[in-house]
Amino acid sequence: MTKYVKYVDVTKCDGCRACMVACKNWNDLPAEHTDFLGSAQSHPKVTADTWNVLQYIEHENGKGDLEYLFRHSSCFHCTEAACEKVCPEDAISHTKFGTVVIDQDKCVGCGYCVQNCPFEVISLKEYKDKNGKTYRKSQKCTMCTDRIEEGLQPACVTTCHTGAMEFGEKEAMIKKAEQRVKEIKDRYPNARVYNPQGVGGTHTIYVLAEKPSVYGLPENPKVPTSAILWKDYAQPIGKAMIGATTMAVVGAFVTNKFFSKRAEKAEQEDGGESHE
Amino acid sequence: MNNQPKSDIQIRRFSKAFVWAHAVNAISFFALYITALPMYTDFFNWLYPVLGGPANARLLHRIFAVLFCTPTFIYLIFDRKGFFRWMKELVTWKKRDLQFFTEFVKELFGFKFKHIRQTFFNAGEKINSLIQIFCAILVIVSGFTMWFPEYFPRAVVQWGYFLHNVGFGLGIAVIVGHVYLSVVHKHSRPGYSGVITGKVPAWWAKSHYADWYDEEVKKGNFPDLDDPQHKKGA
Repeated sequence: MTKYVKYVDVTKCDGCRACMVACKNWNDLPAEHTDFLGSAQSHPKVTADTWNVLQYIEHENGKGDLEYLFRHSSCFHCTEAACEKVCPEDAISHTKFGTVVIDQDKCVGCGYCVQNCPFEVISLKEYKDKNGKTYRKSQKCTMCTDRIEEGLQPACVTTCHTGAMEFGEKEAMIKKAEQRVKEIKDRYPNARVYNPQGVGGTHTIYVLAEKPSVYGLPENPKVPTSAILWKDYAQPIGKAMIGATTMAVVGAFVTNKFFSKRAEKAEQEDGGESHE
Repeated sequence: MNNQPKSDIQIRRFSKAFVWAHAVNAISFFALYITALPMYTDFFNWLYPVLGGPANARLLHRIFAVLFCTPTFIYLIFDRKGFFRWMKELVTWKKRDLQFFTEFVKELFGFKFKHIRQTFFNAGEKINSLIQIFCAILVIVSGFTMWFPEYFPRAVVQWGYFLHNVGFGLGIAVIVGHVYLSVVHKHSRPGYSGVITGKVPAWWAKSHYADWYDEEVKKGNFPDLDDPQHKKGA
């Protein structure tokens, strides 16, 4: 199956925030009141009810110029997704398009994905059931997988009026990103494609005007080493260990039954000495 | 097992504080294991409805987590002497402790063996204690980072998940052996009633913890079983 990628060229973004509105609209997400953050940015970061946020960054570029940088931020849909790895309920999976989605029926709201996401884009949302009891579910951008299944593009891409976002086949989008970086190198010497290989590449790739850290992004994101040791080693070894000790005591039980008759006999012969 | 008449004298092995600390520890350990089991393996997902849903399971897990922190204090506060004897025994290792293990393996599988003289705790119990203390520290410390992630750096929380898994994974594997030896294994079964009532048969204590028993006899606390007046029918 062809993998699809959302291409985001931040240098073409004019910060209109239509992507945020389109996302809320399509995914039926409620508005969140936020305090004034000291800039045009509306929310500090993505939340369970705000799956994409437009960043506004005032950046001094070292030549005495102030750059006003924008970035559409949302889930990266990693190829090696830490959230999927640590989910104890197999609630997080890759679709055939390469997008990463959360099965809301399977999610138990433990928050392991929230803590292990290298990009910190997953959040828990609290709900109340009909008895008034609260429960939690993980929420994040789905890349509008429900739209892709119908042959549509993600809502944010469709609405973008500057052409800063495109949605298409992976190879074509990567090529486009590399081409674009060449075009803007004079204007932005630090420009680069952000498609981090530490997580096997992502399904949202960026043309960034500056270093990732300028946008608050990790330079070398990867699945946490602790998550690999936990899920690939500690958990299976732990299960093997309880299996081994259980087998040992079952073995002990059987051999005891088997030997007890012989031992009794021998004990009587050597004078009835007991080891109890 | 044995045709030789045995004295039915009971002696006190464990203080009330130890019995309570051990019981609270055991109950909270298994409650913690069960309330988190569906997260460990999907095979136990049916436990969610039994526990009242994932949110309720989490709540129960936190209640028992607090309970799980108390046994050390129960033991320390109400039986200081016993607690420090335990600590001292845990750091005391002699040749007889190594000999214990070779004999123990024979005993476990029902082969002929001989008793190695042990103090209050035998070498196996000491290993069990050390592993459980280690696991409890891992589980409790990492439990804090998992419960209150907002107060810890992200990396610490992430390593917490790993350490929590190591702690209970090793802990339960050892517990299986510990419970088998007390509840099922015929030679050590009096230990099970002992840890509940605090009392064990004198003959059993003498053969399993000879050094401790003799010491208590010297202090005049326990009857000398070699004295003919304590033999049954004598």
